[in-house]
Amino acid sequence: MAAPRVRQCYLFCRIAGRNVIPLQIKPNSVLSGDTINTIQTSVRFASRDSEDTQDTQVHIPVERLIVSYSRSSGPGGQHVNKVSTKAEVRFHVKTADWIQEDVRQKIFEKNQNRINKAGELLVTSELSRSQHRNLSDCVQKISAIITEASKKPCEPTEEDVAVRAARLEKRNKERLKQKKINSTIKLSRRVDFD
Amino acid sequence: MSVPKLPGAKALGVLQTLPRISLANLRPEPGSKKEDRRRGRGQHGGNRSGRGHKGERQRGNRPRLGFEGGQTPFYLVIPKYGFNEGHSRRPQYQPLSLRRLQYLIDLGRVDTTQPIDLTQLVNGRGVTIQPLKRDYGVQLVDEGASKFSAKIHIEVQRASEGAIAAIERNGGVITTSFYDPISLGILIKPVPFFLRGQPIPKRMLPGQEMVPYYMDAENRGYMADPEKIQQARLALAQKYGYILPDISKDELYHMLSMRKDVRQIFFGLAPGWVVNMSEKKILKPTDEKLLKYYGS
Repeated sequence: MAAPRVRQCYLFCRIAGRNVIPLQIKPNSVLSGDTINTIQTSVRFASRDSEDTQDTQVHIPVERLIVSYSRSSGPGGQHVNKVSTKAEVRFHVKTADWIQEDVRQKIFEKNQNRINKAGELLVTSELSRSQHRNLSDCVQKISAIITEASKKPCEPTEEDVAVRAARLEKRNKERLKQKKINSTIKLSRRVDFD
Repeated sequence: MSVPKLPGAKALGVLQTLPRISLANLRPEPGSKKEDRRRGRGQHGGNRSGRGHKGERQRGNRPRLGFEGGQTPFYLVIPKYGFNEGHSRRPQYQPLSLRRLQYLIDLGRVDTTQPIDLTQLVNGRGVTIQPLKRDYGVQLVDEGASKFSAKIHIEVQRASEGAIAAIERNGGVITTSFYDPISLGILIKPVPFFLRGQPIPKRMLPGQEMVPYYMDAENRGYMADPEKIQQARLALAQKYGYILPDISKDELYHMLSMRKDVRQIFFGLAPGWVVNMSEKKILKPTDEKLLKYYGS
């Protein structure tokens, strides 16, 4: 029924406080937009101040990752003995064309500990009791590795350069002043015979 | 064998010949009834009868629970703090784990070919909701998400992120919607409501604190923007590491895309209608004012 749908939109508009214009929404527009499994977000390079608020929405094609489950370690009785809750995700770094070339290189350099002989990056998680959540944790760890590797060193801004130059100059002046003071002290100790 | 053997013939014969069952003929199965231990009888039950030696213990005069012999008891030492303040005004949601939901689906108590509503869950005796005890519905909890594998269209009142991910991963649809207490009472027991003969009321909108929850696409709220919901589905698929199945290509797409209107309580019934159970008729209002009221 289109009428309830329009009414829903009307109510939604009313609640949101917008001007009510009877829209003709396409029915079932929620589910018809499933074209690609990608999110078009660019990774915002962090400035020095906003490192915490960086987007961690790197696109990771799930079908390119190899996921395997095994039994976790540690205490837990029957549950830990029987249920495979440890999630392990791996992918070959060099052939991962969904990551940029330079970022790939950086990942390879930085995470030597996580890369095995075959060149695959291995990420495991046994954080929680459920496979589901551990897999999500693995994916988030991978996305964190990628964002860390794609961080570019921030260039100093103009005011930074000016501040740095001013500080260097001040330092030099101070050094020369001290030098002159020392020199006068030494001179005053000298006794000159005419 | 000249006489053909009929099933139950022997038992029938026995029943016909034996005398009528009465209290005099009945006896419990030997070994089913075990005698209780009785205090005050015999070498082991007698003497002090398990009460100890003298004192308050034997004489049955022990002080009240929590008394510590005069020392300020634990329950008075700890200062009061408003943990339970306003507990009777807090909305409660009965938890429904995905494990239980899978169990109900496997046993056939809940039909997956139709949208799963709170009414369907209560009919299948999956959950018990008590609207008079400040229950505002059911919440979906993600215990058992790893083993959940059913494609369903479900409508609950609250859902955790993991539960939403598990349902969407299997190609299902989940929505969270609000029911005020009166609508909730009608939803869980529709037949007694219809027998009252009152018109179906319109469902009220959520209060100020709950509106942000139901307008958020992350929670799949029923008042959220459909495009934002689509984006949220993709984002969640990314986060939980699964490929989001395309629902529009599904054969049950029509069922999965059925949505209730904001003021609607039942699928297929609008507010203002009166359902006559005995004559199996539905009466709809014709007066302008009523139509305007129920249409708003």
